[in-house]
Amino acid sequence: MSTLTYAATDSATMLRRNLRHMRRYPSMTVMLIGMPVVFLLLFVYVFGGTLGSGLGEAAGGRSAYVNYVVPGIMLMALAATAQGTAISVAMDMTEGIIARFRTMAITRSSVLTGHVFGAVIQSMLCVAVSVAVGFLVGFRPDATAIEWLAVVGMVVLTAFALTWLTVAMGLVSKSVETASNTPMFLMLLPFFGSAFVPTDSMPTGLRWFAEYQPFTPITETLRGLLMGTSIGNSAALAIGWCIVIAGLGYLWARKLYARDPSN
Amino acid sequence: MSATYALTDSVTMLRRNLVRFRRYPAMSTMIILIPIILMLMFDFFFGGALKGAIGGDAALGGKYVNYLVPGLILMIPAYMIVSVAVSVCSDMTKGIVKRFRTMQVSPSSILFGHVIGAMIQAMLSVTALIAVALLIGFRPTAGVVEWCAAAGLFAMTVFAFVWLAAGFGLAAKTPESASNMPFPIMMLPYLGSGLVPTEGMPAGVRQFAQYQPFSPIAETLRGLLMGTAIGNNGVIAIAWCVGIGVIGYVWSTTTFRRKTTA
Repeated sequence: MSTLTYAATDSATMLRRNLRHMRRYPSMTVMLIGMPVVFLLLFVYVFGGTLGSGLGEAAGGRSAYVNYVVPGIMLMALAATAQGTAISVAMDMTEGIIARFRTMAITRSSVLTGHVFGAVIQSMLCVAVSVAVGFLVGFRPDATAIEWLAVVGMVVLTAFALTWLTVAMGLVSKSVETASNTPMFLMLLPFFGSAFVPTDSMPTGLRWFAEYQPFTPITETLRGLLMGTSIGNSAALAIGWCIVIAGLGYLWARKLYARDPSN
Repeated sequence: MSATYALTDSVTMLRRNLVRFRRYPAMSTMIILIPIILMLMFDFFFGGALKGAIGGDAALGGKYVNYLVPGLILMIPAYMIVSVAVSVCSDMTKGIVKRFRTMQVSPSSILFGHVIGAMIQAMLSVTALIAVALLIGFRPTAGVVEWCAAAGLFAMTVFAFVWLAAGFGLAAKTPESASNMPFPIMMLPYLGSGLVPTEGMPAGVRQFAQYQPFSPIAETLRGLLMGTAIGNNGVIAIAWCVGIGVIGYVWSTTTFRRKTTA
């Protein structure tokens, strides 16, 4: 059996461990699913009418605002799940299970890849629930089957990138509390982009930040695929950002995990 | 003399809570920062889109920040509920209250220490919020009397909701559940007229938003600070505060008595 096969088997075992964890302690998953849904309902029913009429062309009423906001909520679901990953990684690191794993004949990277793939599955579940609730409140995308596949691909890629980043954040945290606070900025980034309102309505300096931060091209790509709005170069930027974030997250996580645990 | 003892003990417990705020500033910092972050986010990021909603009101000078700040002030008691519930629950589960019970400490002083400590924290938080609001263009038209009335209503609101929070903290089995239990109340300021007028909401939501406790309080604060019409909101706001305060106080004291004498 090759090293690669061992790594794959061990990763599958760790993935199974993470999925079982989710099933046995569902409160975290429920929280992660609940948060984007609450924000969706809040922005559609409480702010939707006002934002819809205030955005003129971009929205024009609550029904059109639902179509505008759902891609942003999808991204929020991904950010929320990523935050959950940081917490579960920190729990593993602080509760001593990793020290046990280190003494066993397990591929070192499998512990992290188990977390990553588990989180990607959880992300997909979160996004699926958010979109389902979106449909219930009036979300009406006009995407074809190919475009839906592209949406799924974009969501998986984003989830993969954010998860590697938050795995590293979980590893760098000294406590579970710190791990729950460190990725908070990821939850805020969709607000500071085009997820909830078009960037044109923002003052100059903020508009500039909103247009160039990673979540905006991802949101615009998802919106373009689902609603047929113009994507431009957003897709290339979105994929670029995802690759960069995933690469940095992976390298950082690997470096942190390889450290001597006694240090 | 027992009233004097109770007062002295309450001051001691208040001092204990203030020392704790200083030693573990994370929660206090969050209570100060969250409303400020929300204000900056709503004004700068959503303000351009939301400005149209308040355009007609001359008292607000066409600036969304003037509409927003009185509503955002109520985020402070809403978020305060969580921190008070968690700290009361921590005290109950970590055994410190049992230690206090073996000493000659007035039982009510333990809760009063939490309540008054939270009120001081809320006052600091609202001061910070208004200071930042003034920096970004908030221009209240209130005179001295209106400012005093607004401060009084805010203190009353905090007092009421903190007693309710103490009840949540005493009812919870663990600090984790204490932090989750008040979530519906924490969401109430969003589901009212605090951030956007209720006219833009669909019928069912609008009805809920108009009749929930935070809306009349927000409208009264807005009226006092910005000179918008208050109508009967002032009376309704005070009634809600008294009602919530009484329920919270009775719930807290009876639960505390039951848990500490068992």
